[in-house]
Amino acid sequence: MLWKDQYELGVPLIDAQHKELFRRVEAFLQVLRSGVSWDDKALQLNDTLEFMKGYVVEHFRDEEEYQESIGYPGYEAHKQIHNNMVDYVLEVSKQYEESNKNEDLMQQFGGRLLAWLINHVAAEDQRIANYAREKGVSGNDK
Amino acid sequence: MINNLYNVFFDATHNVFQLMLNISDISAQPEEEFKCDDEVDISVGIQGDLSGEVIYRFPVPTSLNIVNIMSGMQFDSVDAFVTSAVSEMANIISGNVLTALSDNDVKCDILPPVLCKLDDDKDYELKTSCCINTAIGEICLLIRLNRAS
Ligand SMILES: [Fe+2]
Repeated sequence: MLWKDQYELGVPLIDAQHKELFRRVEAFLQVLRSGVSWDDKALQLNDTLEFMKGYVVEHFRDEEEYQESIGYPGYEAHKQIHNNMVDYVLEVSKQYEESNKNEDLMQQFGGRLLAWLINHVAAEDQRIANYAREKGVSGNDK
Repeated sequence: MINNLYNVFFDATHNVFQLMLNISDISAQPEEEFKCDDEVDISVGIQGDLSGEVIYRFPVPTSLNIVNIMSGMQFDSVDAFVTSAVSEMANIISGNVLTALSDNDVKCDILPPVLCKLDDDKDYELKTSCCINTAIGEICLLIRLNRAS
C-alpha cells in the first residue's frame, strides 16, 4: 500500500483526505502500469484524472483552511506549493488532451506525481503537524 | 556555508532518502569508486547568489530501486515514469539545499530538472562532487557553481 501510518498528522479531516488521495493515486498507478493496451488504459485513466483535478483542489483548500485556523506561519509558502501543483496538473491534462492522449506524457505525470505526493505529505505537511504540536493546538481541527 | 557545499548537498540527500524512502543508512564515497555505465543523469540549474548547475547521476539499478520503493510496484527498466520520478527527487533534494542556503543568507532559485548528458565540464569556481553510497545503490552529485559577481 502506498499510504504509510507515519504520514499521519493527527488532524482527522486532513488525514482522511490524505488517505483517500493516496488510495486514488495508487489506483491510478495500477492502471497506468498495467499490461493492457494504452487505449484501454486511457479510458480508465480519464476518470481518475477528472476525479483528482476536483479532489486535489478541495483537499488543498481544506488543508489551507486548517493551517490558517492554527496560525501556521508557513501558510503563504505552503499555499504557493499547492497552487504550483494544481497548475501543473491542469497543464498536463491540457497537453494530454491536445496530444491525443500521448502515453509518455501520462507516464511522466505519474512518476512526478508519485514522488511529489510522498515528499509533500512526508515532509511539507509534517511541518504543519509539528507546529500544531509545539503550539499545543493539535487536535483542534473542526 | 558556501565553502561547505559538499555537506549541504550530502545532508539534503540524506534527509530526502530518509523521509521518502525510509533509508537512513547512507555514507560518503570517494568519486573514484563511483563506477557506472548506464545511468540517468539529471541537471538542475541554479541561479542567484550562486549560479550554475548540479548534475545528479543515478545509476539505473539505483533509479529502479528508488521507484520500486516509492510505488510498491516492480519496475524493470527505465522509462518516462522512472526518469520523471527520479527527476522530481533531484528537484526535491535541490529544494532542500536552497532552504539550507537561504537560512544562511545565500539566496538562489532552481530551474526545473532536465535530462542531460555528461559533457566535458567547463571551469567553475566551486566545483566538487558528492558521491553517496546507500542501501539501495550509489548516487553521485556533480556540483558546478560560480559565485555571483
Ligand atoms: Fe499540503
